[in-house]
Amino acid sequence: MTEKESKRGMRVIGVLLLVFAILVAPHEGEFWPFSIYPMFSQAGNPWTRAMILDVTDYEEEEIWEQRTIDNFIGDPVSVRSHGVDEIDFANFVSKTNRWNQERREALRRMFGLNTFNENRWLVVKAKGYLAGKDSVAVDIIPWILLTDEGTVLNPNINQSEYMEVDKP
Amino acid sequence: MKWYEKIGHQLFEPNRNQSPGELIFFKIFELFILFYTIKYAWEWGIYTQLRNNEVVLPLGIANYIDISILFQWNLALINAATITLLSSIAFARMGYKWFYMVVMILLHIQYVARFSQGEIPHSMNLIGMSVLCFAVGAIWFPGKKQMPRFVLGSIIFFIGLGYTSAFIAKLIGTGIYWFDGRHLWLWISEKSVDVYSTFGYYEPNFLQELALNYLPVASLILLIGWLTELIGFTMWWKKLRPFTTTLLIGMHFGITLTMNIRFDSFVMQLILIGFPWYLLIDKYVKTTPKWVEKLI
Repeated sequence: MTEKESKRGMRVIGVLLLVFAILVAPHEGEFWPFSIYPMFSQAGNPWTRAMILDVTDYEEEEIWEQRTIDNFIGDPVSVRSHGVDEIDFANFVSKTNRWNQERREALRRMFGLNTFNENRWLVVKAKGYLAGKDSVAVDIIPWILLTDEGTVLNPNINQSEYMEVDKP
Repeated sequence: MKWYEKIGHQLFEPNRNQSPGELIFFKIFELFILFYTIKYAWEWGIYTQLRNNEVVLPLGIANYIDISILFQWNLALINAATITLLSSIAFARMGYKWFYMVVMILLHIQYVARFSQGEIPHSMNLIGMSVLCFAVGAIWFPGKKQMPRFVLGSIIFFIGLGYTSAFIAKLIGTGIYWFDGRHLWLWISEKSVDVYSTFGYYEPNFLQELALNYLPVASLILLIGWLTELIGFTMWWKKLRPFTTTLLIGMHFGITLTMNIRFDSFVMQLILIGFPWYLLIDKYVKTTPKWVEKLI
């Protein structure tokens, strides 16, 4: 490469930077493969994830009780072993505002309907936040029970929470 | 000489003669990118075909077109096959100069179709940026004299920029107290739920235990990682590159240990691009093999 080509190389990088800026600016810093890498930039915020607990052997009244990450009941189910990406699953649960019949059924279909048979799987939301000055609390909130027959919502939760108005 | 021309000198090294080791390394690196391009194209395509039903989060071009069309009629798999074919031809330098650019566009479509479910992963970004640099290099810097230097130099530029921009994003997003160890506690607990969901069990490792038990340790881990991101742009300078790269690789191992987030292809690419491997090859190879010349 000559001096002249090196200068041209930097000009081309300049043009790519311009394209980069034009694409990421209106898209919250992301236009693959361009990114300003904003992950973890907003620290200290509460978070919501999800997981599945196998509660086949538990009584109905036990499973709907809110617990914590240290005392939840049921065995965690490996969603990856069912071919489902754990982050996709968590996003599906935490970002759905309106849990209509189709949405609940889509959650069951995600794992294949043959999975259930006798099994009862409890989808829980895990909510983490800073509790006081020196600890983190993680609440485990029972959300939807998946069974062979269909889905059941948590009777202890106000049903309006399952049908929130979409946020703009 | 202007400041950006000085950076160009560090990235493209116009005064250094081209050696057989450089050309052989370039082709090995291109093979690495080809492998991951094809791997991702199929992984994303198969997942899209099997699992995606509706668009939860539109990314990139999916903001303007209905990307859910790729969920049907095996289109994601057809796209993966097209990417495989075109990138292989481009690797062999048998097709048109713009084949890599088409691969770039198709790979973007494949990415936004696969990751329309809410997750925005970054571990594949370096492969995407590399394909883009190959695309630009093939069109505007063709031939063995120009293409290897432009492609590798521009990739190094964007890697360094990415890390430093991540530092700035944290400074703007949270402020100077971003490295407060309690933030790491929150992320460790968040990732622990993901690990439960992935494997069905979770046990904190030694470093996580240490960070969770001692706030200053957690803060120090974040501070070291954050400062390492800040100096990412020093990769642009040839003499600093191996040192910066070593620190960045160390930071990625730290992220894996504390937050269970793996950046496999990212780290492998850093190892390939951050050190002057061509010097090692030049010790053993004195002439460029004919087949390598043909493929560049």
